[in-house]
Amino acid sequence: MTLGKIATMNSSHRHQRGVAVVIGSGSVKCAAALGLVNVLNRAGIAIDMLVGCSAGCLYATMLASGRSTAEAAEMTKQLWTSTITDQHNRRAWLKAAFPRLFGFDARFGLRDDRLVMERLNAAFGDSRIEAMATPLFLTATDFANGNQAVFSSGRAVDAIRASIAVPFLFSPWPIDGHLYIDGYMSDPLPVGVAMREGAEVIVAMGFDSPYQEHVSNAGRFAFQVSAILSNNLLKSQFAFHGLAHHAEIIPIIPEFKQRIRMFDTEKIPYIIEEGERATEAQIPYLTRLLDAQASEHATAG
Amino acid sequence: MEIELRLSGGITVVGIRGSVDGLTADDLMRTLSARVSEGAVRLVADCSALDYTSSAGLRSLLGAVKLARQHGGDLRLAAIQPPVLRVLDLSGFTGILKYYPDVETAVVSFAEPA
Repeated sequence: MTLGKIATMNSSHRHQRGVAVVIGSGSVKCAAALGLVNVLNRAGIAIDMLVGCSAGCLYATMLASGRSTAEAAEMTKQLWTSTITDQHNRRAWLKAAFPRLFGFDARFGLRDDRLVMERLNAAFGDSRIEAMATPLFLTATDFANGNQAVFSSGRAVDAIRASIAVPFLFSPWPIDGHLYIDGYMSDPLPVGVAMREGAEVIVAMGFDSPYQEHVSNAGRFAFQVSAILSNNLLKSQFAFHGLAHHAEIIPIIPEFKQRIRMFDTEKIPYIIEEGERATEAQIPYLTRLLDAQASEHATAG
Repeated sequence: MEIELRLSGGITVVGIRGSVDGLTADDLMRTLSARVSEGAVRLVADCSALDYTSSAGLRSLLGAVKLARQHGGDLRLAAIQPPVLRVLDLSGFTGILKYYPDVETAVVSFAEPA
């Protein structure tokens, strides 16, 4: 096994059925998933599928493609910097101010997305979701009706771009004639996808959206409203899935003592460390659960 | 997981030690259901030594709360440790059940008008 890469099943790993890792939305905090994978690798627990939402899609895709956690951490520093939101989309501002004159439409976003697309293309090129080394599912939200969209095939770059289309910031992204926005708008921690795909054990790493310390401008006001909505949605969706289905969900919620802002990539080592710490606490139970499952399946089979 | 039962002021205090999860949740549910069917419908779960709950654990806790309430009582939680409280909060449980900082306060709460 290559250190840091996702462990694939072989005789030295625990016999298991359907272990999924779900990485919820959470901007740079999603790097904690690299810590999670490090710990699972050390414990010899193979991952059968990855599900990602919003920035979680970046990590799910990097890991599913076979990149090591160290490579993924390094890639993040190149991909996810504040410069991707520095460029204003002047035409969008004009459209917002004078909708009739400049022709307002659903592809509205106040930031120019060319740099983010350039970086996503450089990182993933034409990689296809269905060709990943580990089965991968990326979620976004259908802008027409709010339904969750799950991408299990197609260009990874398109699905990621759709899933990180933060409303107002980046424009909705078209795929096959539909427009999609950020996955967190339908489910910030999409454990339901892993359930539908047959996972019996779901290791779910989720993050609260941070509340604003000071609501000092319209942008911060919008982020505060968004955080309230997404945190409440996270709770209600997680509660529903946890209670309605038989699959075992092991929530892993890293506790960050330092405030992590959207583009704090310099804090990635700390974020990974907290991801490792939170995961290590659950490893004894996870290994007992997988051993019990293996024993049950051996008896049944 | 270890379960310890005791009485305090007419209330059944259920001490839960360890982890309520896919491997232990059924044991907890069986123990609590048995107590309720014996008429002990007012229960306090002492969570001071409970260090983890997974979704299976949450399902058993909710099942016990519903059962106790159906019989005119309640299951109230006490001394929940921060990691467990985070999971309960994430799952919306803190909005539907009563929880208290310690066992004594939880026991006394049953004497207060509902």
